[in-house]
Amino acid sequence: MMNTENNISKANRKINSLPKHKASSTKKFNDSFWGYLMIFPTVAGLLIFYIYPFFKTFFYSFTNMGAFGEYAWTGIQNYKSLLTDTNLWLALRNTLLYTIISVPISIFLSITVAALLNAKIKGLTVYRTLFFLPAVTMPAAVAMVWKWLYNSDYGLINYILSKFSIKGPAWLSDPKIALYSIIVVSIWMTVGYNMVIFLAGIQGISKNYYEAAEIDGAGPIAQFFKITIPLLTPTIFFVSVMSLIGSFQVFDYIFMMISTNSVALESTQSVVYLFYKNAFMLQEKGYASAIAMVLFAVIMIITVIQIKLQKRWVNY
Amino acid sequence: MSKAKSKKAFIHCLLIFGVILTITPFLWMILTSMKTLGESTQIPPIIFPKKLNWQNYKEAVATLPFIKFYINTIISTVAKTVGQVVLCSMAAYAFARIEFPGRNIIFIIVLSVLMVPGQIFLLPQYMIIQKLGLLNTIRALILPGLFSAFGTFLLRQFFMTLPKELEEAAILDGCNHFRIYWNIMMPLAKPGLTALAIFTALWSWNDLMWPLIVNTSPEKMTLSAGLASMQGQHLTNYPVLMAGSLLAIWPMILLFIIFQKSFVEGIAMSGSKS
Amino acid sequence: MKNKKLLSILLGASLIASIFTGCSESTSSNSKDKQVTLTYGIWDKNQEPAMKEIVAAFEKTHTNIKVKVELTPYKQYWTKLETEATGGNLPDVFWMNGPHIAQYASGKMLMPITDKLKKDNFDTSVFPESLIKLYTIKDEKYGMPKDWDTTALWYNKKIFDDAKVPYPDDTWDWNKLREVAKKLTDKSKGIYGIAAPQEDQQGYYNTILQCGGFVISDDKKVSGYDKTEAIEGIQCWLDLIKDGSSPTAQQMEATQPSNLFESGKLAMVYQGSWMLSEFAKNEYTKDKVDVVVMPKMKTRAAVIHGLGNVIYSKTKNPEAAWEFVKFLGGKEANEIQAKAGAAIPAYKPALNIFFDSTKQFNAKAYADELEYSFMYPCSKDTGKWNAVEGDNFKKVWAGQTTAEAACKKIAEDMNKILAAENK
Repeated sequence: MMNTENNISKANRKINSLPKHKASSTKKFNDSFWGYLMIFPTVAGLLIFYIYPFFKTFFYSFTNMGAFGEYAWTGIQNYKSLLTDTNLWLALRNTLLYTIISVPISIFLSITVAALLNAKIKGLTVYRTLFFLPAVTMPAAVAMVWKWLYNSDYGLINYILSKFSIKGPAWLSDPKIALYSIIVVSIWMTVGYNMVIFLAGIQGISKNYYEAAEIDGAGPIAQFFKITIPLLTPTIFFVSVMSLIGSFQVFDYIFMMISTNSVALESTQSVVYLFYKNAFMLQEKGYASAIAMVLFAVIMIITVIQIKLQKRWVNY
Repeated sequence: MSKAKSKKAFIHCLLIFGVILTITPFLWMILTSMKTLGESTQIPPIIFPKKLNWQNYKEAVATLPFIKFYINTIISTVAKTVGQVVLCSMAAYAFARIEFPGRNIIFIIVLSVLMVPGQIFLLPQYMIIQKLGLLNTIRALILPGLFSAFGTFLLRQFFMTLPKELEEAAILDGCNHFRIYWNIMMPLAKPGLTALAIFTALWSWNDLMWPLIVNTSPEKMTLSAGLASMQGQHLTNYPVLMAGSLLAIWPMILLFIIFQKSFVEGIAMSGSKS
Repeated sequence: MKNKKLLSILLGASLIASIFTGCSESTSSNSKDKQVTLTYGIWDKNQEPAMKEIVAAFEKTHTNIKVKVELTPYKQYWTKLETEATGGNLPDVFWMNGPHIAQYASGKMLMPITDKLKKDNFDTSVFPESLIKLYTIKDEKYGMPKDWDTTALWYNKKIFDDAKVPYPDDTWDWNKLREVAKKLTDKSKGIYGIAAPQEDQQGYYNTILQCGGFVISDDKKVSGYDKTEAIEGIQCWLDLIKDGSSPTAQQMEATQPSNLFESGKLAMVYQGSWMLSEFAKNEYTKDKVDVVVMPKMKTRAAVIHGLGNVIYSKTKNPEAAWEFVKFLGGKEANEIQAKAGAAIPAYKPALNIFFDSTKQFNAKAYADELEYSFMYPCSKDTGKWNAVEGDNFKKVWAGQTTAEAACKKIAEDMNKILAAENK
């Protein structure tokens, strides 16, 4: 109670202390003026450095651009080839599977950790920092360490399993489970990352709600599900949109942990991996651009669906 | 009393379990950084090195201009973080709180930048930086990173959760949007700004491809680009690479510890409206 | 408010700092008369000290030329080079290898050096013939050979001694190799006789040649994979796995053969000459292993690869670049390389100096193979058919298809790629 009221009255006092101006132009003009002005630096920068390259890529997807930028117009040939390219369909399947599994688990775990780290216990800073460590480390170093952990003959995981008389599988070279091994690594990396966002979100939930629930006799689990989660939905929405977009673009882990000669590659390669392979290993930059455009379309559709659905479950 | 105590103990147990899962790979990194190259590739693996080989750290610092790497990485990270916090928050405020024609369409175009593989930007950005004559400079490291669709999206969500009453009063008093943004909204969005600062700093710290492509001299390299040179065509010096990576982490950890306090004690209005 | 001030100070400070770092760089490029700065692109950190030494020696005798060595890690080297090529901004001189030479030459990114070699009476007979051929595209020479590598047979003396088997020597043929590998495999100790990984330069490129086959025809128009000789050159490795003398493909993917060798788990292994300095340093191998030429099959053959120094076609300093490349191909530069021991210099007279630095091994074996060396297989779109090789052979090594079926498929796809190249 006190905090919120203090904030609003603080803010109101600030507003009242600011100099007053005569309202000269119509509100609409004012809004447009300030609206455009304030988005200008970011949008202009994005236009030059990101949106223009995006359109260039779109253009190149209709060509057969090679290694050094030389190209000839080929129309929709690339897209036609994509339809019959089994690699693309495999990659889409892998990417979809990866996303469907890793995103919900990562979100659930990071909310749980954030909630636990919001409790009144000692050592919060230490815990938070430790959970955040994976997010801070160089991906190349991370990949190397996990490759060793996963080594089927000598890795730590199978070594521990052998102590329980279980013969551990070939985590990274068995086509049936390699993708799940990668998912574990990505969840490990992203829990700390998402935890930061959820910590910020949970901070914003007024303590009043929890106090009232205590008085009503609700236990911590009930509070978690009836207060924390519902009020966290705007943050969950943001994290799920960003996580979906991010996991659809998975590349680094696969590139660094699965070698090109591995039979597990077909069941792990993602769409972006396919893009990289075509652009930089096969020098088919036109075809790769088409792959990028297909990925964009898929992500766009899924994001739009998410945005439309948000009205149903997000409480602003 | 004991109920509260056992609740705390339970939370500690869960957290410690999570921490063990999280930091085991790090323990391996630390152990490897103190082995000799031969020890690090032994089959079956050796867990503890025969003796602590601090020379890997010495070698990492000796063969690479680490001080330069730190300076370059810190300068470019600070510039990008501050730049994004300012520029993205301004744009986010406008997208969230100001009605202007075309707002939604422009926002979707901004979002679409996030939905394509990042590698497609490498070549066009390289060409633009080249035309500006900024190849192999610190400015080249900073420039494209000042503009972020992710940051704009993140902060827009935050701004959307603040109560509308704040602005209405201010507008009645004749304040322009910029004042509202700077004097009122920004202080309230501290948790979101801090989160963005942490993410931008993180991403900039570990970014590999862009610094490698746009800069050529070792003196202009960042930490991750510089460390990548430890990976040879046929062989990698694992212990030195691990040592270098550990040396590269701790500024980010320090930053995180400092900023943590800021958004934990920060005041946010999100979710508090009835 | 405190935060605003802090924010603006930080932003200001970092922008100012970036301007100053930018400024100091531009004033130092104000040069004296005819002062020329060349950029030299390389990728190997191990060789960087030797390259810097060569540059220092060059700058001493060419006081108006400065050379900046720019290292990009191998994994990103070609991506970066392509970006620079597309932007018209390649280094003046840079390292080139077999798989990429034709692509860069036909993409008009390289300056031909045939005339310059003739004009300066440069004697190219000091280099192995196959290296010169490697860097000659359509009768124009583009690259000054820098170093070379071949593959040879390494063996663990201790394992041989324990089993009382005589060491491999130059009388061995493949059957003998197979027999000894089976004999020395001791699963109870976790020891394998040999490693049979899916490796091209360190594996089947050599055995295909040794069976009398070829990977790509000399005129680069036809694939040799569908011929029986090539199929034999693949099958011989699979036989080793079938015998149980080699770890499985899955095992070798998780743990590299060189690591197994350095852990005393392999009696024999094929390794390229770049491993000399590594094996010399490693605590286990430095006194327990040695190397010998590869056993013969139908004939003796070895595939040779080597880097070349090339010049950017649009360099702003063609004369200076040529002077530098000439120096790189000369006695002094190659002797520096030889002493450093990281790569075998292409300059034949400097070989002895190199072998001095690896005296504990029979490194001469690598040089003996020069006699029967064949050019590394490559063409303009090497990357494309390398991918075909990899995709098909991985199925063979995983036991999902036969060598014959895979080789026929590779030949089919490879011929299509080669036909498109030559259109």
